[in-house]
Formats: sequence, structure tokens, C-alpha cells
Amino acid sequence: MMHKLNGRFRLLTASAALALAMGAAQPVFAETPKDTLVEGFAFDDIITMDPGEAFELSTAEVTSNTYSLLVRLDLNDTSKVVGDLAESWTVSDDGLTYTFKLKQGMKFASGNPITAEDVAYSFERAVKLDKSPAFILTQFGLNGDNVTEKAKATDAQTFVFTVDQPYAPSFVLNCLTATVAMVVDKKLVLEHVKPMTPDDKYKYDNDFGNEWLKTGYAGSGPFKLREWRANEVVALERNDNYYGEPAKLARVIYRHMKESSGQRLALEAGDIDVARNLEPGDYEAVSKNGDLATTSAAKGTVWYISLNEKNEKLAKPEVQEAFKYLVDYDAIGATLIKGIGEIHQSFLPKGVLGALNENPYTFDVAKAKELLAKAGYPDGFTVTMDVRNTQPSTGIAESFQQTLGQAGVKLEIIPGDGKQTLTKYRARNHDMYIGQWGMDYFDPHSNADTFTNNPDNSDAGTNKTLAWRNAWDVPELSKKTKEALLERDSAKRAEIYKELQKSVLDDSPFVIIFQQTEVAGLRGNLKGFKLGPSFDTNYVWNVSKE
Amino acid sequence: MSLATETRPMTRREWLLSDRPQSRLQARLGRAYMTWRRFSANRLAVVGLLILLGLCFVAAFADLLAPHSPVIGNLAGARLLPPGSEGYLLGTDDQGRDILSRLIHGSRLTLAVVVLVAIIAAPVGLIVGAVAGYAGGWLDAILMRITDIFLAFPKLVLALAFVAALGPGIENAVIAIAVTSWPPYARIARAETLTVRNSDYIAAVRLMGASPARIVFRHVVPMCMSSLIVRVTLDMAGIILTAAGLGFLGLGAQPPLPEWGAMIASGRRFILDQWWVATMPGIAILIVSLGFNLLGDGLRDALDPRESGQ
Repeated sequence: MMHKLNGRFRLLTASAALALAMGAAQPVFAETPKDTLVEGFAFDDIITMDPGEAFELSTAEVTSNTYSLLVRLDLNDTSKVVGDLAESWTVSDDGLTYTFKLKQGMKFASGNPITAEDVAYSFERAVKLDKSPAFILTQFGLNGDNVTEKAKATDAQTFVFTVDQPYAPSFVLNCLTATVAMVVDKKLVLEHVKPMTPDDKYKYDNDFGNEWLKTGYAGSGPFKLREWRANEVVALERNDNYYGEPAKLARVIYRHMKESSGQRLALEAGDIDVARNLEPGDYEAVSKNGDLATTSAAKGTVWYISLNEKNEKLAKPEVQEAFKYLVDYDAIGATLIKGIGEIHQSFLPKGVLGALNENPYTFDVAKAKELLAKAGYPDGFTVTMDVRNTQPSTGIAESFQQTLGQAGVKLEIIPGDGKQTLTKYRARNHDMYIGQWGMDYFDPHSNADTFTNNPDNSDAGTNKTLAWRNAWDVPELSKKTKEALLERDSAKRAEIYKELQKSVLDDSPFVIIFQQTEVAGLRGNLKGFKLGPSFDTNYVWNVSKE
Repeated sequence: MSLATETRPMTRREWLLSDRPQSRLQARLGRAYMTWRRFSANRLAVVGLLILLGLCFVAAFADLLAPHSPVIGNLAGARLLPPGSEGYLLGTDDQGRDILSRLIHGSRLTLAVVVLVAIIAAPVGLIVGAVAGYAGGWLDAILMRITDIFLAFPKLVLALAFVAALGPGIENAVIAIAVTSWPPYARIARAETLTVRNSDYIAAVRLMGASPARIVFRHVVPMCMSSLIVRVTLDMAGIILTAAGLGFLGLGAQPPLPEWGAMIASGRRFILDQWWVATMPGIAILIVSLGFNLLGDGLRDALDPRESGQ
């Protein structure tokens, strides 16, 4: 290790000396190393790197490049999946049993072989840890008691997954592309488990390596995670044990850069290769620069403002409807989110099965005032909103603050970083929240399940969907959401989703504002950089430099 | 002859400058006039005073002076307009709000912060210092060690910690700045007290049976006032900068309040293409801080008893 470090250090000093020598002769020009991709990226939402726990957008990008899945989304046709670890799979006739055959001779980054045991252990720990993303697996009837039976390895190459109802197979497979189903290195994780004392809340005698995996790594993706320092850097290194085509670059560095203008400056100077959080103004400037290129992709992400029904004022349907009339959609679309999103008011993003492309609400103060008076608040009231202090959240929040003010509602903005606001939101201690929802897998159920499903609205509820987080108790819609899931006829299924979206549009605590387009500014010498349709498909292994 | 000179009415100036004042009032006014003469001889100090009078005027009549609302903008029609655009003298910010109107209304916040900090921190420092200096002994030791503890932390870092603990907001910012700015005043007050505590007039008052409290408040504190006023005035620029710093970090005034530091923070995103959004509040902070510094310098020269010539 020491030796290696010394070698690297020598290289660094040598290049520093070279840079100095060149700097004397010509203007200073920073350039990132040929074998390294440097991205400027705001990743202050990362809480943990454990795929069994992480449910944040930035983490999804890191884990999707460093861990393997049984199946991955086919980027050429996002309605299909392709095998990753799995060579092939079969579904039993009753639609309950899925049998996966693993490819031969694969290894984790640690050198341990990848077996069906590892897959089974990954499912087991995700279900038993029962963190935020666990519902993606537990919705198939898995729980701590039966997971070892329902997700088990019958031999080293065969993994058998049993679900409780005959779901549409595409739905099951889509769910398995989610980050929570990522496969961890059982042998390596077992070396790092921490003993726990079982109690009523947590029934197991160890933490399944959860604490170690917070910053540790036990995967098998094209890259391996070398380091994550919160709000500073995420460093990935090529995994030489990768079973597929090796990554083109030796390492990828994500530098935490919060400011769009900072990213743009660094991109223009060549300090970074990719700027990931460009705001409209900067994106426009980058697209006009001849040395730089831009790329964009519509994301399965919608931005919304939600009203916590625990606040009795916000629980009134008239208030909720009034708030939908108090967003200046046109102005926001033309300014604050220009180039990074388009106005979209239903919860399924365009392009997904059953998506409703209607935007019935417009900015209408008179109508909103009328509704507020009907609700018993002709003079308005005061309410708080938790806002992550990055753009466009802050800009939209401030615009909303003004437009609410025109109807007499006084909005107090509580700024915080991603971690603070999210933690508060998940504990449902907020009044209002502005956030984004990215699909966990490319299936309408992903959004329907979070916006319209709330099986247990008590504080003890474990299914922490967005409906739960906003205390929206909707037994009818929850039932309908379930029905859509078992409907094998695509046309009928799409119809149910359309009805669900109409319900949310008409009467819900969600003010959905726009669908995100993710953009990135690139150095001209970059090849193969492509943004995927979701946050866990922003793959970097095909990127190379000229 | 002598009668005739005595009956000639004194000019107001002569009355003020008389070396044999007939009443206490005359003596006091005479001293004040001398001070004013020394002060007004310093051109820069007068400029500083005018800047601050201007600030007070703007703050008092903000509602009449501001051409637009400071919080409601025109997002669709007037976003990021450059200075000199029709109806928007200093341009507009990213929410389409008039920057001039925001600066005018923001002067109220700036003035409020400065005044509140001054009236919280200065008396606290004065009392702590005067009591410690007059009492001496263990009371002095305890009070001064507490002061030392506060002085041991960098001011802005301590203020940040306080705001983080109390929660963001302009009131908490004021409290945090006040808590961190009293120790220097205590030091000054103590030093001044030590120079007068053994003088004859204090001994005389004590012999007449005055209580320690009376001595401190009536006979010691007034002697500390002039140096304290100078120090507070000079510190005001620092207070403004600290408040703006807290606002810039999102810990001071919350949106949509037009606090100048917060305005810079939201404008820095556009610094490359729309420089005016961050520059205008920066200029405002610069001018007001300069005003306080010039005034403080002038006051120091004017109030320094060693240079008063009396």
C-alpha cells in the first residue's frame, strides 16, 4: 500500500512540476488527466452508500456504477430489461416463481466469486434492515420471517424468487432493477457486521454490515467505490475483476460543487469534464461555447409541492385546490426551469405507460381566494415550507411565496441542506415541502405506489410513501393502485393509471409542477457520455476521452 | 467703560465659548459646541454623518421612496433586467423584483440590526467592565475571565454557532452578534474605570456616603462613555458585515426579506452574466460601512479628552 501511494505521489509531483514548467511558458490551462473523468455534481443528499438503505438520487448514480443487479433496464427500449448477473430467467405458469440462472465465473471487486448465495443474502439484508427502499422488495410479500424461503439460492448458480401474487412479470423484473436489489459481497460484508442487541424494533443480532457499508464497498460493478467524503468527493476506480466489458476510463471523480456558476467556470477552465447541475442561464452559456457540448435527457422525475395533512388547514380540499391555482406555472416554465424541465401537472412522467398529459391548472388568484374563503380562510394564514437550498427549489419556493402572498397566505421558508429537509420530511414533521420524485423503476406503479398508496397512515406506518409522508389517508385509491398492479392487460392497466392521476389532480395534497429534463455540460473531448432515463441509469463506464 | 462692555449682548458663540460659564447648562453646551467644532472641521467625518443621516432618512420613508414592492416581483415580465431599464433604475433580480426597492427596504433591516446590537451589547459591556474595574478582587477576576472566554473565539465563528443553535432568522442573528460583541466594550470600560477609581473626586463622593452602585453609575460610567461611543461606532461597520455574512450564509434574514447579505447570496448565481444582482447590495453595504467608519474616526478625534485642550 505504502509503495503504491509513493508511486502515485511521485507521479503527482512529476505532473505538478511539469505543469509549473508549462505554466511559465504559456497561460495556465488546467486539464483533467486523460484516464480520469471529473464531474462537478451537487451530492449533498447522500446519507449512506449502503444499497440496502440508500434511497437518494445522487447515491443511485454512484451505486448503479459500482454494484451489479440481476437484471438491468434495457436503455434501447426502457420497457424491457436485460440480464446483468443473470444469464436467463423463467417465470412459472402460476406467475409466482421466478428462477434466475447466473452467469458463470463472475467475481466481486474483492475477488470473491459471485454466487446465488450472495444474491439471496442481499435480498435478506435489505428486507431485514427494512430501510426506506425496502418496500420495493417487501411489496412482493417478503418479510423478515420468510425472506430466506422466498428469496433463496437452490445452488451456486440458481436463485429462486417467490412472489405472493401473480403480478405482471414486467413489473416484477422492473422492480429488480431498483438499487435496493443490488447484490453485495456476502463474504466481505460478513467480515464487517456489527453485533446488535435484538429488541422489539430490531429483531436481529447483527446489523448486516449496514454501518460499515455506509462508507464501505462490497460490489461488483464496472467501477468500485474508493472513497466518499460527505459534501466533498466521491471517487470511483475501475474494477479490474469486472465480468463484463471493462470501463474505458481508470477512474471517475465526482467533486461536490453546489453552485451552477461554479460548475460552469470550472468546466470552462477545464477543471472538470462534466458539469451536472447547470441552471438555465449557465446551461445556455455553455451551449453557446464552441469548446463545450451539452446533453440532456427527460427524466422520470416530477417536481412537486406537498401539503402535510397533519396540519388541519392544509388538509382542507379547498385549500389544496387553491394552492394549485397559486403556482405561476407559465412564468416558472419560461424562466426558472427553462431548459431543465417542462410544466407537467400529473404524477406520471411523460413517456410512461398511462401518463396523462393534461395541465388543467393555471395561475388564478381570484379563483384561489374564492376557494380559501370557502375553506374558512378569507384572510389567509401562515404556513412554513422546508426547502433544500439549491436551485431550482429555492427559486420556485420564493416565487410560490409571492404568489401565495397575493392570496393572503403567508409562507415562511425554512432552508436547509438536502439531508436536513429530507429527514424532517420523512418523519412528516413539515407543513409543506418542495421536492422531486424520481421513479425507482420504469413502471407506472413506481409513482402510483408513492403518490396514491398509503396502507397504514399511523405514525408507526412502515410504508413511507409520499402519501404517508403527507398523512394523506386514501384507502380507495390505495385499493385501486393495487388493482392496477395485477391487471395483465396493458390497455386496461393504463386506463386505471389515468383515473388515479385524475384523482390526484382534482383532490390531493400534491401540487405537481414540472417534469425534469436533466442536462449536463461536457468538455468537447468527451465521448460516450449519456444521461439515462432515470437517476440509476446515468452510467459512466462507456465514457472515454479523445 | 467696564459697564458698557458688560452690557453689550454676547453673541451666541461667545456665550458658548465663555471660559466662565454661569450655569451647568452653559458649561455642557459649551463643551458640546467645542466637540462639534472639532468634529465638523473633519470633512470626511461630516461625509460619514451625512451618509448615515441619508440611511436613516431612506429607512424612515422607505414606503414612499421605493418605486416597487420589495417582495413581489414580476417573474414573467421583468426578470434579470439590467440597470437603467425603464422603471427599474438598478435592474431586477431573478424573481423579477426591483433591486432599488429591495435596497431601500433593506436599509431598515440594516439599521435595525445595528441599533439593536448597539443597545444590547454596549450597556452590557459597559456595566460588566465598570463593575469589574471598580469592585476589583474576585468579582473582577470572574467577570474578566468570562470576557476572556468570549474573546477567545473568533467573532464570526461564535456568531455562526449561536445562530446554528438558535435557528436561522434576523432576531437570532441580532442576538448572536450582540452576544459576541460585548467583550471588547467590557475591556474598554474596565480600563477607563481603573484610571478613575482612585481619583480624588471618587474618594470625595465615597466619603459623602454614596453607595458603590451610585458611584459606578453616576460617577464612573459617564467617564467611560466617550471612548465607548467611539468604539461602538467604529464597530458598527463590523456589525453590518457580520449581519450580511450571516445573511449570505442563509443564517440571517430569511426570504423574502430584502437583507443585503442575503441579496448578494442569491445574486452570486448570476455574477457572470447579470453582475448587477449581487453588485448593487454589495455597493450599499460598502457605502454604509464606510459611513460608519468615517463617523467613528471623526468622533474619536472629537471626543478624545486628551486632545480637547481643556
